[in-house]
Amino acid sequence: MKERVSRGIALEKPAKRDFPVMQRAYEFITNPKRIGAALTRTGTYLLLSGFSFVFLFPFLYMLVNSLKTNADLNNILVNWVPRDLKFENYIIAYRALDYFTYAKNSVFITIVTVIGHLLSCSLIGYGFARYNFPCKKVLFLLVILALIVPVQTLIVPMYMVYANFGWLNSYLPIIVPTFLGYGLKGTLFIFIFRQYYLGLPKDLENAAKIDGAGFLMTYWRIVLPIAQSALLVTVVLSMVWHWNDFYEPGIYAQKATMTMLPARLNNIVRLVNLPPEEMFEDMQLIDQENSINNAVLMAGTFMVITPILIVFGFLQKKFMQGIERTGLTGE
Amino acid sequence: MKKIRFNMEKKQMLEGLVFVSPFILGSALFFIFPLFVSIKLSFGKVVKMLGFKIEWEGTANYLRAFLVDTEFVPMFLDIVKQTLTKAPLIIVFSLILAILINKKIRFRGFFRTVFFIPFLLGMGEVMKQLLNQGVDKQVVFLGDGSLIPREILAYLGTSVVNAIDTFFGVIVVVLWGSGVQILLFLSGLQSIPDSLYESAKIDGATEWEMFWKITLPMISPIMLLNIIYTLIDSFTNVTNPILAYIQEQAFSKIQFEYAAAMGWIYFLFILIVVFLVMGILNRYVYVAEAKGAKRNERKSI
Repeated sequence: MKERVSRGIALEKPAKRDFPVMQRAYEFITNPKRIGAALTRTGTYLLLSGFSFVFLFPFLYMLVNSLKTNADLNNILVNWVPRDLKFENYIIAYRALDYFTYAKNSVFITIVTVIGHLLSCSLIGYGFARYNFPCKKVLFLLVILALIVPVQTLIVPMYMVYANFGWLNSYLPIIVPTFLGYGLKGTLFIFIFRQYYLGLPKDLENAAKIDGAGFLMTYWRIVLPIAQSALLVTVVLSMVWHWNDFYEPGIYAQKATMTMLPARLNNIVRLVNLPPEEMFEDMQLIDQENSINNAVLMAGTFMVITPILIVFGFLQKKFMQGIERTGLTGE
Repeated sequence: MKKIRFNMEKKQMLEGLVFVSPFILGSALFFIFPLFVSIKLSFGKVVKMLGFKIEWEGTANYLRAFLVDTEFVPMFLDIVKQTLTKAPLIIVFSLILAILINKKIRFRGFFRTVFFIPFLLGMGEVMKQLLNQGVDKQVVFLGDGSLIPREILAYLGTSVVNAIDTFFGVIVVVLWGSGVQILLFLSGLQSIPDSLYESAKIDGATEWEMFWKITLPMISPIMLLNIIYTLIDSFTNVTNPILAYIQEQAFSKIQFEYAAAMGWIYFLFILIVVFLVMGILNRYVYVAEAKGAKRNERKSI
């Protein structure tokens, strides 16, 4: 019925020229399909905005609270818009964290381990995807098993192994495994690379081999450059996991000077919970307004995560393209 | 010098071994050997740390976990319950979100980045501090009357309101923890050819029908991968209370043997669950019948 009506309208062509807006609005209203589409679109955006709010919440909360003054923090009426912005919180947090000393540790570990994962896992994944060799199935089962075994099941014997190597209180227990395909979720990256190479056509490699390139040369010059998307996915995941990891560093590298940056947040928590007099003594603070409170803690938290956010900001576009292109998972 | 010549097959084999050699070395050092020591430890007693001197003690450590320790079994059941409630939620929500951001919409790049932010915050110290501040409960907080008027809240009663708040608190944490799953689904959705949807549209299929008849079967291998990833991630997360308990037993109370035994019980349980899930769900995973369809020959594991 309704279709017929709209067709009838379309016949009155002069009217369309006179009131194009009205005409279009009328056609729109009388066409249920277009209304449906518009409703779905609005619904989609509403849903997405709602979810975005949930996903942005921890980030926004951190940002807003890090700028609050003591008075705003205790005022339940002040929620999202602080009455005064207090940037000093960041300076206090910077001092309490001893930011650069410990950021150096974290940056060093993260860069070295990510390089380790990139080199070893891409190599191993390529071996699994392209070659046949004895015990391949057994070895691949190990890749999966190593993913399933919780770190804690092996932590005691690992500790003993490293104690025997004399590696305790150094970063070696965290760094060396990443160069051999292990380390923090290392075998997951082997799996990602394997799936990626499986989906890649062999033509380029064959061409390179016909031209006389050796197998390692082919890998280094031909395969790795095409594997850019898988490399990027590995960089982002490995970086985030290593930066936020507190478990293994906390066990193997216990010396205070070797602490990672995120673990330093506990120092701010400790200061917040101290009785005021000791806190002032500890930080050599004089006035009440600059005391260490939850706003400082949030400022510190934000500073701890900032390097990751910056790096991700640079990689973000290519990373998302990589996700689209690779099928991170293969099939 | 005479060049040694191999036949093709042998050469291939050696090249392959060169590629995986780091993994073989790594497995020996950081996986198989510790695994072996760990088994020995769980059935024995440490005599000396250096040199791995361990004495045989029998199953005492295992029996202790079930019979003597009053904390282990309840903690164990609790984590199973938690995983079983959270994993389905994660899968459903991440699939919905992945479908939404896979559509041709405006600001798609923005939404994709936003959904990845909680992953960047990680599950380590940063998130711990945020959760300590009660961020998860403030996202949807009915008590302040901004979403639902106070009169209605008063009518519902505090226990209902609290229940709703707790429910949303769980959902919110679930959403924050589903960054990787969203990515996996997104990449799966991207690999479905548009031509399938186009031909379905010409045949008059609705969006709803297309979801059940095209999207879901095509994405089922990744669904399986995702379910297994979620299970493993939930069981082996370092923030997991049972794993913290194992660590405490090992390093604070210096009971390496008992910790190893608990670790093994827990690991065997995970292994059984993963294999069960794989066995059951593998039947439902869609594999294209057409032999020419090369992409579907590879099965997910």
